Amino acid sequence: MSDFSHLIAERIIHSEGMFLDQRRWEEWLSLYAEDAVYWVPAWKDENEPTSDPDSELSLIYYASRAGLVDRVWRLKSGLSVASTPLRRTTHMTSGILVEETEAKASAAFTVHCFDPKRRTAHNFFGRYEYQFGIRDGGWKITQKVTILVNDQIPSVADFYLL
Amino acid sequence: MNDFAQIPALTGSELSGLIDDRAGEGIFRVNRGVFTDQRIFELEMKHLFESGWVFLGLESQLRNRHDYFAARIGRVPVLVTRGADDQLHAFINSCPHKGARVCQLQKGNARIHVCPYHSWSFDSSGRNMAIKDKSGGHYAAAFDQDSHDLPRIARLGNYRGFLFGSLTSDVPSIEDHLGEAGRLLDLIVDQSPQGIELVPGTVTFTYDANWKLQLENCSDQYHFTSVHPSYLSLLDHRAEVQWSKATRNVFDPNSERDEGEALGGSYTFANGHVLNWRRAGAPDALPLYENYDELAERVGTARRDWMLRSRNLTIFPNVQFADNASSQLRIIQPISVNRTEMRTFCIAPVGESAEARRIRIRQYEDFFNPSGLATPDDAVVYEACQEGFTSGQMPWLQGYSRGLASEFGQSNIYAEDIGMAPAHSALGDPSLGDETIFHAYYRTWLERLLAVLPECSDSARAVPA
Repeated sequence: MSDFSHLIAERIIHSEGMFLDQRRWEEWLSLYAEDAVYWVPAWKDENEPTSDPDSELSLIYYASRAGLVDRVWRLKSGLSVASTPLRRTTHMTSGILVEETEAKASAAFTVHCFDPKRRTAHNFFGRYEYQFGIRDGGWKITQKVTILVNDQIPSVADFYLL
Repeated sequence: MNDFAQIPALTGSELSGLIDDRAGEGIFRVNRGVFTDQRIFELEMKHLFESGWVFLGLESQLRNRHDYFAARIGRVPVLVTRGADDQLHAFINSCPHKGARVCQLQKGNARIHVCPYHSWSFDSSGRNMAIKDKSGGHYAAAFDQDSHDLPRIARLGNYRGFLFGSLTSDVPSIEDHLGEAGRLLDLIVDQSPQGIELVPGTVTFTYDANWKLQLENCSDQYHFTSVHPSYLSLLDHRAEVQWSKATRNVFDPNSERDEGEALGGSYTFANGHVLNWRRAGAPDALPLYENYDELAERVGTARRDWMLRSRNLTIFPNVQFADNASSQLRIIQPISVNRTEMRTFCIAPVGESAEARRIRIRQYEDFFNPSGLATPDDAVVYEACQEGFTSGQMPWLQGYSRGLASEFGQSNIYAEDIGMAPAHSALGDPSLGDETIFHAYYRTWLERLLAVLPECSDSARAVPA
């Protein structure tokens, strides 16, 4: 077992983007701990995202990986017209800052989304905040908070577009 | 609007020709053109949204003096405030000087609003407080013949904390406008003795289609199992694995029910308001259930039972309340004939337990958010419709026919239970998918637009040379 490092953070963060872009859903899920919190806050006003998921609204909030498993199932089910066809994405992640002793990292993101049905493109952008922990002998994401800066959503937002 | 000389103004007979209302003969058809014609959109903005009552927000958004929130009436920016006098005010958020939007934020608290352009300032009731460098400005005496205040909107209506505004004064009282549909707003606000509030966090999304698609879809029972099978399957799955109480399937069609109990139905009311409802599959999964006994005592069992039913209410033309898996307030903001913005809020009874609030929020996110498991499928379907509307082949849509052969009558026992007198009712299991509910929208729509249109093209407006 290696200590947490900048390299580990970068590898997980960049892998996450690639797995989502390449629709390698199972590999994407495997980056997360079973008890991982996945949270995309909404905004209270022009300046402040919501900060308490139990008393304020979020765009997405799951207190365990099971929520993500459900969402992957939905995409693959063929039962969601919003996911048929899936949008194509390119996750661009940069500005990774790591707090090695705390096993935390943050990164700026832009996700380029292309809707092949309507031939239109859109970007979601913001910042990721990660907490990592050791599970089954390896480093996993135990919490991911996605601050979506442009929360004007054109019809669809989903985990794979963020 | 672009005044293209080639496009003649719409006449009343053309507009009537788009709604084929022969319900007595079993026929009700809507022409695709109502969703695509730019001239109709302009009429709707001017005569449905910018004349007549539209929803602005909740009084509970203005708890303290000088609180304010921004709203729109059609295309017009409006500011709603609680003034120093503790009274509610609503005025156009546009400076009389050069027209700039004065208050730049969506909500807040301010004694003084200063225009960012030339610093004219206004108090929280819209009264002009100062004109910068007025004494040095060599104004002619005539200048002060005009009011320099922010203009009040013509009418501000407050029905039990639901705030509505009108830019024109020739409207009925807000109570008369809501009519019997007010009983259904009562079912929302009476869920707590302290009324309802917005849960912090606003979610805004757009879709590239006409605003009336959202209007209809909220009242469309028929789409539910077709558009949302992924959501429904996940609810079943979660119930099986007992994933969390917060995700019980309140839509469970197989849950036990009393002999003869109806599965759901719809009501329409004067002025285009409608409700569709279904019995709650698992009322004990609802956050409100914790007050089951308290509600019975305070509002009676009939109204309590109604509060636990899934209800989708539209107050025509711009606000919808969905109270089912969770509770949502949606404001429909048309942007153009083929683009709409939805401002959506989780509403909740004031003072509910922290656990009930948490469940309400979780259920809300999954079902109602454009980042959730259901709403994106609706929005994408609206866009599919808008794309299909471009076809001139078979212009008459066939989606207003279900229920036409049934004779439900004006009211039924469920309405009578709460002393509500609808204009029309329907009752049945979800396979009914009543579409006569939409007739109320288009009858009100046509009646209000016809009232402002010339009957024939002879009196069409002059076009630019």
